[in-house]
Amino acid sequence: MRRWGYRFVVTPMVESIDVLALGLNAEQQRRLFKFSDARGEVVALVGERTIPVARLVAGKLRSAALPLRLCYAGAVLSADEGRFHQRRETYQVGAELVGASGPVADAEVIALAARCLEAAGLRRYQVDVGHSEFFQGIMDAVRLPVAVKAGVRSALAARDFVALEELLARTPLRSAEHELLLRFPALRGGSEILEAAGGLVRNRRSEQALAELARVQELLVAHGLGAVVGLDLGAIRDFDYYTGVIFEGYGPDLGRPVAQGGRYDRLLERFGRPAPATGFVVQLDLVWELLARGGRAPLPRLDAAIAWTGSGHATAMRLASTLRLFGMRAVVDTESRREREARAWWRAVGAENLIQCPGTKTVAWTANSGRTRSLPPEQVAARLAGSPS
Amino acid sequence: MSVSIAVPTGMLLPGALRLLSHAGVMRLSAAELGRRLLVERSGVRVILVRPADVPAYVDHGAADLGIVGKDVLWESNGSHYELVDLHFGPCRLVLAVPEASKLNGPETWPPLMRVATKLPRTTAAWFEARGQAVEVVRLHGSVELAPQVGLVDGIVDLTASGRTLRENKLRVTATLGASTARLIGNQASLKTRTEAVQAMVARLREAANHGG
Repeated sequence: MRRWGYRFVVTPMVESIDVLALGLNAEQQRRLFKFSDARGEVVALVGERTIPVARLVAGKLRSAALPLRLCYAGAVLSADEGRFHQRRETYQVGAELVGASGPVADAEVIALAARCLEAAGLRRYQVDVGHSEFFQGIMDAVRLPVAVKAGVRSALAARDFVALEELLARTPLRSAEHELLLRFPALRGGSEILEAAGGLVRNRRSEQALAELARVQELLVAHGLGAVVGLDLGAIRDFDYYTGVIFEGYGPDLGRPVAQGGRYDRLLERFGRPAPATGFVVQLDLVWELLARGGRAPLPRLDAAIAWTGSGHATAMRLASTLRLFGMRAVVDTESRREREARAWWRAVGAENLIQCPGTKTVAWTANSGRTRSLPPEQVAARLAGSPS
Repeated sequence: MSVSIAVPTGMLLPGALRLLSHAGVMRLSAAELGRRLLVERSGVRVILVRPADVPAYVDHGAADLGIVGKDVLWESNGSHYELVDLHFGPCRLVLAVPEASKLNGPETWPPLMRVATKLPRTTAAWFEARGQAVEVVRLHGSVELAPQVGLVDGIVDLTASGRTLRENKLRVTATLGASTARLIGNQASLKTRTEAVQAMVARLREAANHGG
């Protein structure tokens, strides 16, 4: 993310509940771990980091020129046991682009999120892009009594399409907007879906959302992400929070999104510095789960395991420090071990190379391929340092 | 890629299997599924789980789709999509009191009502919405027994015909809701394998709407 010009910021783990309440709904507030400090003020452990970043932008970074590109990483806490795990503490990496509006900024953040998933090691993933204004426009346009509209919103928020169907079936007026609402979970696809939806909506808010989405998709193709980006007009998210383009990243066969983000232009003004903003968060626990399922969970890789006997210890230590100078990871055995024991230890520590040092002159270098060569230590160091790792 | 469907043991199982058969998805006997728990044929995988576990399997992505009673969904709030009313397995969630009880409408309720149920969340929410203080006793079976031995004032339970209630000398004073079998879908399956999953949803919807 730093390569994209995003500054790493660290925000506090503990925030005043009044600050967090500016950006969280009642249910989200309920899930916070809350306690009181020495003055009796109620504070909470952060459950997400967009709000602390917003406070930072409106506070300490008040005089910094917009747009600001910021990123963060850290633990967040939830007092509720998750539906899927007992973990109360999970890890998130995220980025926020504050002070820029429009499709170019939206596409930049989506592209960055996609590249983050790649950098994390996901080989297969997809990003679904939607727009919260598409739904808001439909809700404006659809002719329904106020009470029914409220029902429609809550049915959609609960993803209950049976209730939605019942509500809409009871109203005599049918319109294209009705059809769109009922087909919400299926409004997913490529650019053809924009045309299909464009033929059905007759309100400016939705039409503008579709135009913005078309532009964002073009830009994402230019970002080189055409193959992984899909459009999802039926994305159901917190409609009160998001104000524009929204997106979710999915890995293969994982029931939940690994990354989520979108535009939230109304948050910063609650902190006294009105500014458009967009950002995303990657759920590292879920990324790990995906990698572990593919058998590719990244364990720290060791370049060299260095075994020794007798006077070889001094050689081993010298060789290790040379390798470390070249940025390699080298472990020196804590006890003297010969051939067979040395090989067992090598496998146990899981290093790429085994180097056995029986004395000062030559060492035996065994690469992962299994081939063993006897060479002077300087030559082993030179070869390892010179080989692309 | 295959589509997996979780079906519930118990009351809804025959209806669920009939639906799968009518939709031309898979012909399967309860005995066979009960023995194997997981059957996979021509791109469809059917798994048999306890009714209350269906939402967990679907939310987790262990099943793309699930067939489950609305009563189970009342008690669980997950990330799944509730897609289709499958119409079979109708039952009502009712408040029942002993035949001799004076409790009738809300005006006759005591200041603190004691109610036994297998669905504590739904029950508490219903009374709360009516401004009634309630002490919910969560039981796992034979709920009908609780008022007879003086444990509670009444029960909130599911009933299809009302027979069990009558046999236990209970009468219905209010209906909290009506339940039928529903088709639910995993959020990510609908997004990442849209075509296969939506096609299956359409087939099941079709079969359900035509006397499945």
